[in-house]
Amino acid sequence: MSLAGILMSLIGLFWIGGGTIWLFSKRRYRLRQIPQFLGDLVGFPVELAQSIWGRGGVPYALLLPNMAIFGLFTFAPMILNFYVSMTGGSSIALFDRPWVGGANYAEIFDCDVSIFEPKSCSNAGYNFWTGMFNTLWFVVIQVPVLCVAALLTALVVNRNIKGRGFWRAMFFYPVMLSPVVIANIWNWVLHRKGALNEAIGTTSEALSAMAGASGFDIVVSVIMGVILLLVSERALRASGDGPSLGWTGVFGLLLALLVTWANPTSIVGLPGSFWLGCALGLALYWIVATGQSFARAAIIGAGILSVVLLLTIQFDAVFDFGRYRPVNWLVTPNTGWPFFWLVFVFCWSHMGFYMLILLAGLQAIPNDLYEAAKMDATKPFRAFWRITLPLVMPTLTVVIVLSLIRSFQIFDEVYLLTGGGPGRETFMVVQNIYEVAFTNNNPAYGQAAAGSVLMAVVIAVFTFFQLWITRRQSEF
Amino acid sequence: MSRVARFLTRTAGNPDKAERFGIGDFLAYGYLVLGVLIILVPVFWTFLSSIKPERAVDSFDTRLMPYSQITAEVEGEGIKTVWHYMAEDGTVTDVFKAGPTRSMTEVAPLDDPQAVIEVERTRLEPAEEIRVATENYLDPLLKRNGQENFTFDIYLFNSVFVTVVATAITLIINAMAAFALAKYRFIGRLTFTILIVATLLIPSSIILVSLFFVVWSFGIFGSLWGVIIPAAATPTGVFLLRQYMLTIPDELLEAARMDAASEWRIFWRIVLPLSLPALSVLAILSVIWRWNDFLWPLIVLISDPTKHTIQLGLTQFAGEFDTNFHYILAMTVVSLIPITLVFVWLQRFITTGIATTGLK
Repeated sequence: MSLAGILMSLIGLFWIGGGTIWLFSKRRYRLRQIPQFLGDLVGFPVELAQSIWGRGGVPYALLLPNMAIFGLFTFAPMILNFYVSMTGGSSIALFDRPWVGGANYAEIFDCDVSIFEPKSCSNAGYNFWTGMFNTLWFVVIQVPVLCVAALLTALVVNRNIKGRGFWRAMFFYPVMLSPVVIANIWNWVLHRKGALNEAIGTTSEALSAMAGASGFDIVVSVIMGVILLLVSERALRASGDGPSLGWTGVFGLLLALLVTWANPTSIVGLPGSFWLGCALGLALYWIVATGQSFARAAIIGAGILSVVLLLTIQFDAVFDFGRYRPVNWLVTPNTGWPFFWLVFVFCWSHMGFYMLILLAGLQAIPNDLYEAAKMDATKPFRAFWRITLPLVMPTLTVVIVLSLIRSFQIFDEVYLLTGGGPGRETFMVVQNIYEVAFTNNNPAYGQAAAGSVLMAVVIAVFTFFQLWITRRQSEF
Repeated sequence: MSRVARFLTRTAGNPDKAERFGIGDFLAYGYLVLGVLIILVPVFWTFLSSIKPERAVDSFDTRLMPYSQITAEVEGEGIKTVWHYMAEDGTVTDVFKAGPTRSMTEVAPLDDPQAVIEVERTRLEPAEEIRVATENYLDPLLKRNGQENFTFDIYLFNSVFVTVVATAITLIINAMAAFALAKYRFIGRLTFTILIVATLLIPSSIILVSLFFVVWSFGIFGSLWGVIIPAAATPTGVFLLRQYMLTIPDELLEAARMDAASEWRIFWRIVLPLSLPALSVLAILSVIWRWNDFLWPLIVLISDPTKHTIQLGLTQFAGEFDTNFHYILAMTVVSLIPITLVFVWLQRFITTGIATTGLK
């Protein structure tokens, strides 16, 4: 019989047998009081504590089971990690493990050049540092993307919209799904012959066919011209002072699209029209949002620029995508797609949770502030920057820390979606720990524990760095 | 139609200071609809694919409806798949293939199996009907057609056992700890609170290896208790319940003490029933965590197939990837159903509960 078995049966005997005798010696129970008796029996140790030490002993008895589990299964492993990381061999019995000191760490740090070039490291070091840098990359990309998406969604759901409960629930739904289900769903969608490739293929073929028709260029130019006219007119005609922010946003998007299509940087032989377009659109939005005095002039100027661009665009060339070749999203190496889809799926499945927390933070902001800002004719953008963001900052900090710790631990989705592949492109550090300790024929527990300790150090550094930054920010 | 028109042109805010249904609202609804589409389309697509027959799944049939090819019993030939053959003059006959598929294929009409003719392959089209492939679901669930290894009943029992027992233990011991922290003044209260906060910041995956040693030396490795016990105490639960119990007035407790109720009875008969809203939120959270848990069960339970939970059982399937995609999809949908039902039923509790506690 195992240690736990003996322990459990002793405790059970004491609890049920002793408890029954003790309770019956103190109280009388009638037959219909059985539920009450059972309730008392569950709390028998607490009552015992009260009768021995008085009321002062009760809180300790109440805390005991919870703290015992914390102590045994969270704090003890935390300390034990250091010990295990200094032992070698593959024995499971703790006292059977030979002491090797820092050898496990030395092996991980055993690199010819430096840890920043994992290929020059020993085998263990290569696996660990590849996983670590992939994870760091993932965290650095994932956390901002997740937080911005969650904040944006929370802001939209926090508006005065119909069916807020429905939208909120819909965005939360993926959080309920298990990683296995998520991985199966996305595996199916992202397969080379899956729905996504099929949808893209069909759309691009249809567009290409349309672009091949005669007169397509002129028709699209006219339509785009009309849309631009309408949107800019809407933006300029807005009531109140200054152009309408929402319409300017749409106009900025259109402008970015036009610049991308017209590709003006190709005249001087440079790439980057897309980024130029984004920069122009954002600049326009910023000018209007901050209420610059030349906002109207800027919109008119952008309108003229877009008409000039429109005339240069050959739409039948823009929409001629040629033949679409299906991409094997999760398997093709050196494309970045597996990593992209990992970030996407992680966002997809976790965004709703953080959105809910941010939504609670947003709803805690008193409405008076916005009304006061409205009295002072504050621009919505400025109100967001000066009221919403500072007041939601504490919640946002919680969200950032939580998502940071969460993203560092990413394992389930990656393991099931890509298995760390292609090659080692999405190989994360937890997967390294898991594989070293549990899937090897010759498990290297010491190695894995050393990896865990290093990972804990990195997480702690990141968390404190992040908290330090936000502390400085809130002082202003 | 008029309702749609009214919706599209409705005003935001109350009628007194009515504003037009502006571009901001359109953008907001556009964003929401797009987001919900991105969330729901993959799930629906998985469901639609899971009711397609094996052949359609394997050939990645991307049509929405579950088409399957008609089969017919041909005299002296056995069961054959049916094809439509369109002759040069436009007449269509139902045929079956009498020989191997080449550019010129031998086919014969269904009603006259002896009249074999050679036709161009491009003139043949599969004769299809819409049929829900229930066998995707029934084969694994009833262990038919070589799916004996997928013991759904055992997986389900294990998952339900882990979820129910762990949730019960979590509720009781977390409520006890929360009660102590909320309603008693004692030496070390701050220390205990800080210790519980600290556990919130210890990620479970960095204690993976040594937790394995602890669980193994307790002798619960490889049993369901090895999954239930280590995560039974949750810092989230303690905080959630403590915050709620702080709102219960002390006078109630004092009144009960006047009537000589023991401290445990005060907890069991007064505090627990009063904190039912917070308890239900924690119960829902705990059910979600336990039902979806993957990494720790994978380590503890993987070696013994009779101890697998549903999540582990599903990955066993994915091992034989190429052949059994239709079973994978169907079982994915099956494991999705309970959590979806719970969600539809309790979504208001869940979303407001998490929003007010702000922790996971």
